[in-house]
Amino acid sequence: MKRTYLGEFEEIVLLTVAIMGDKAYGVSITEEIEEQTGRSVSVSAVHAALHRLEEKNMVSSYMGDATAERGGRRKRLFSVTALGNRTLDEIRLLRNRLWDNIPLRIFSTLQ
Amino acid sequence: MKLTPPRWADRLLEWFCAPHLLEEVQGDLHERFQKNARVFGEESARWDYIVSVLGFIKPFALKRSKELSSSPLLYIQIMISNYFKIAFRNLLKHKGYSLINIAGLAIGLACCMTIGLFIRDELSYDRFHANGKSIYRVVEQQNQVGTFYDIAVTPGPLAPALKADYPEIQAATRIRQRGLRFLQHDSTTIEIEKTAITDNEFFKVFDFKLERGNAKTILLQPREVIITESTAEKLFGSNWRQSDKLLGEPLIMNNEDTLTLAGVVQDIPVNSHIQFDALVSAKTYEGIARSYRWGNNDYYTYLQLRPEADAMALEKKIVNYIKGKEPKSTTTLLLQPLYDIYLHSNFAFNTDSGSKTSKIIYIHIFSIVGIIILLIALFNFINLATARAMQRGREVGVRKAIGALRKQLIFQFLSESVLMSFIAVFFAVFLLIAFLPLMNNLAAKAIVIPFTNPYFHLTVLALTLLISLLAGIYPAFYLSGFQPVKVLKGVFKAGSGQTFRRSLVVSQFVFSIILIIGTIVIYKQLTYIQNKNLGFDKSQVLVVRMKNNLYQNSANMKADLLKQTSITNVALSSTNLVDVTNSTHAIKWEGQLEKDEFLMTLGNVDPDFLPTSGIKLIAGRNFNATVTTDTSSAYIINASAAKRMGWTPEQAIGKTFSLWETKGKIIGVVQDFHFHPLNTLIEPFVFRYWPKELYSRMLVKTNPGQTHEAIASIEKLYKQYEKQTAPQYEFLDQALDNQYRAEHRTGTIVLYFSILAIFVSCLGLFGLATFSAEQRTKEIGIRKVLGASVMSITTLLSKDFIRLVLIANSMAFPIAFYVMNSWLKDFSYRIDIEWWVFVMAGLLAIVIALITVSYQSIKAALMNPVKTLKSE
Repeated sequence: MKRTYLGEFEEIVLLTVAIMGDKAYGVSITEEIEEQTGRSVSVSAVHAALHRLEEKNMVSSYMGDATAERGGRRKRLFSVTALGNRTLDEIRLLRNRLWDNIPLRIFSTLQ
Repeated sequence: MKLTPPRWADRLLEWFCAPHLLEEVQGDLHERFQKNARVFGEESARWDYIVSVLGFIKPFALKRSKELSSSPLLYIQIMISNYFKIAFRNLLKHKGYSLINIAGLAIGLACCMTIGLFIRDELSYDRFHANGKSIYRVVEQQNQVGTFYDIAVTPGPLAPALKADYPEIQAATRIRQRGLRFLQHDSTTIEIEKTAITDNEFFKVFDFKLERGNAKTILLQPREVIITESTAEKLFGSNWRQSDKLLGEPLIMNNEDTLTLAGVVQDIPVNSHIQFDALVSAKTYEGIARSYRWGNNDYYTYLQLRPEADAMALEKKIVNYIKGKEPKSTTTLLLQPLYDIYLHSNFAFNTDSGSKTSKIIYIHIFSIVGIIILLIALFNFINLATARAMQRGREVGVRKAIGALRKQLIFQFLSESVLMSFIAVFFAVFLLIAFLPLMNNLAAKAIVIPFTNPYFHLTVLALTLLISLLAGIYPAFYLSGFQPVKVLKGVFKAGSGQTFRRSLVVSQFVFSIILIIGTIVIYKQLTYIQNKNLGFDKSQVLVVRMKNNLYQNSANMKADLLKQTSITNVALSSTNLVDVTNSTHAIKWEGQLEKDEFLMTLGNVDPDFLPTSGIKLIAGRNFNATVTTDTSSAYIINASAAKRMGWTPEQAIGKTFSLWETKGKIIGVVQDFHFHPLNTLIEPFVFRYWPKELYSRMLVKTNPGQTHEAIASIEKLYKQYEKQTAPQYEFLDQALDNQYRAEHRTGTIVLYFSILAIFVSCLGLFGLATFSAEQRTKEIGIRKVLGASVMSITTLLSKDFIRLVLIANSMAFPIAFYVMNSWLKDFSYRIDIEWWVFVMAGLLAIVIALITVSYQSIKAALMNPVKTLKSE
């Protein structure tokens, strides 16, 4: 089977989930992305991306604790699955290979 | 105080968000709201909250029906591709059924598309004028001795007078259609088929485009002429466009009038009811009082109203307009919309012969036939799909047991019919390409398939989807309604849905039989018309048109022709007897009561006319060239005229009769003969012998078998007396047949479509017979073992179908009788629908059905019972 395709935003969300460890849920991921990339991100976009990632079996989720500021509602906590990890690795390897193949001349101008 | 996000936004979220997502989403949004409120203040946080809630109006988060709530997209995709895969496998597995279905649908669709293109072409007439909606033709209703006649032509001065009197008329033009003319430029002389006389406003009312010439000033002067592009090509050669001194060139018409070329107009589209090769300015003729006065109806008058004008109101205002100009006239005026002219014109005395027209009835006939064939094909599909329900029943049972919902099964079966329809459309387009030339030939049209028109593709797509829905909807609901427990257990009534299938077969055959009867009746009526004794001998008669110098030389040419051995008789005449419309009520007769008037049709002939045409004298004598009074004061009338004036043929002889104030005596009475198409009764007719009025035609009676020699000598002598024009002649019997060309066309087209309809019905019947033979292989095997003969088994299998065809017969007969009777009502002289027509159509249907069914029945009956019974 061919590798499932990941969009740019999906990739960022997946990476953020990996960074966050066991504290990854909607708001925390949103804030982390905003902080890391400096761009404004909507909660719904993150939710949609997480939803798609779960459909593609890249992340798994379970319901966590509730807090007062959430009005007693539980969080859905996400973690990267084995498939998600492998996919991230593959993406990284592919990128590295591509970078390595850039001739030096161009590489220096790029910097 | 604890801050809360806007209540309504929260409610909105709770309303649209899918329940299983609500908790996490709402929790996240609330958490973010609290943080935002701390950092940016309440106002900003509330705003952000609303925007975020609205952001969740995305497919993944929306509420939907329960069963699809998890990951819808992926699974629907797979499901649909699976439906088509199964459909395709089914198609290949049952090749016979698929072939029958697809062939039937393809033929049905091809017929529909052909007829659709035909109707589209008929409806496209005159639609190319940008302001067509506000263009009207002014027509008359004349009161001729008590009867109202619709007349398409109006007086010449009408158009300009109406425009001057009514401000709502933006432009008004008139057209007078003239026949054949000769145009000469330098040494080139050409014949032009259709000349018309019109004025400058013609180009304001209509959208005919001028290639050369100024539309503002053209045709304002007398003696101006405009020609079409193809006429220009004939006259000036194919590179006439390069010539820069085209306009102003003198053109000589008919050897006498010198006209100035004022413009070249683009060729007239085929779908225009106005057709011409050259236009002459009406100013040229305005001085001639005879043709240009209020009492003469020579012109078609067209008005273009202002966009805001009310045509109904204008019609009311102009109804008595003629009376204002001619106080004695009783003629009233009406407006006919431009778009109605081609299909809805029905005018008396051939007054609309200058326009190209058709009849709406043909559109009705063809659309009904097209729909019938499509229905027959649809019924095939439905029949075969439900007949095979048992095989599919198990599949349905298994699918349902695994958890398929009825909705999904319906969708699956519909996708099968969609697949089938698309394959059928594919073949239908090929059939269309292959058979359109034949249809064009039959219908005398030049239809091309509008592949470049996006609407064509959209229509075909819509038609395909409609067909697949119509064909698939009943089987889909029927099949998906099975209860899995029952079908899987094997409790399955083989006869379920049989009544429905049978009624479909019956209706297919009802349609087919009606079409067979219709075809037979149309053909019988046409043969009747062709072979009916018209009261004169139409065989071996050539009608030669007198042109140009021949008018003067007709007597000499006649004398020369009579010397030929191949020619038995020659007569000069004003008419060819095909459809004589020249008539008057300016007659007086001995013993006429006051206010007793009637219309008399007229003919001007010479003494040889009666022997040449074979019209029989029943009293009195023929004209005689040696009796001088015969050329001024003698009349021969037909029996109907004698009867109308209150005499027997013998009494009529010697009575005083005057035509247009020319007093004379009746010297002879002839037997009635047909001088109109057979949809009108024979009316009173009078012959006169006035040689000083020039004769327009020569009737040449040839010796049987020597027609070629006769034609050769006519052509030779014609050249001798008339050098400028080509001889033009026709056979009288062919000219008479041409009157019924539209009926012939309809007859042939209906014949072809009937054959197709029967073929498609038989395809379905064949499929059903195959199926029922398959079903009963075991039964047949046991019967054969017990001693049944091949004959008895064949009968057993065929009986059911024949019964259906018999029922169809009994239903089709009254409908066909009613329909054909109303068609025949149009003809004054018509056949009776005899009983044998029905018997023949019924027998034909039975025989065809029997042949179709018996192949399968005999095959089943010949099967070796050992083979059918051993497998269990």
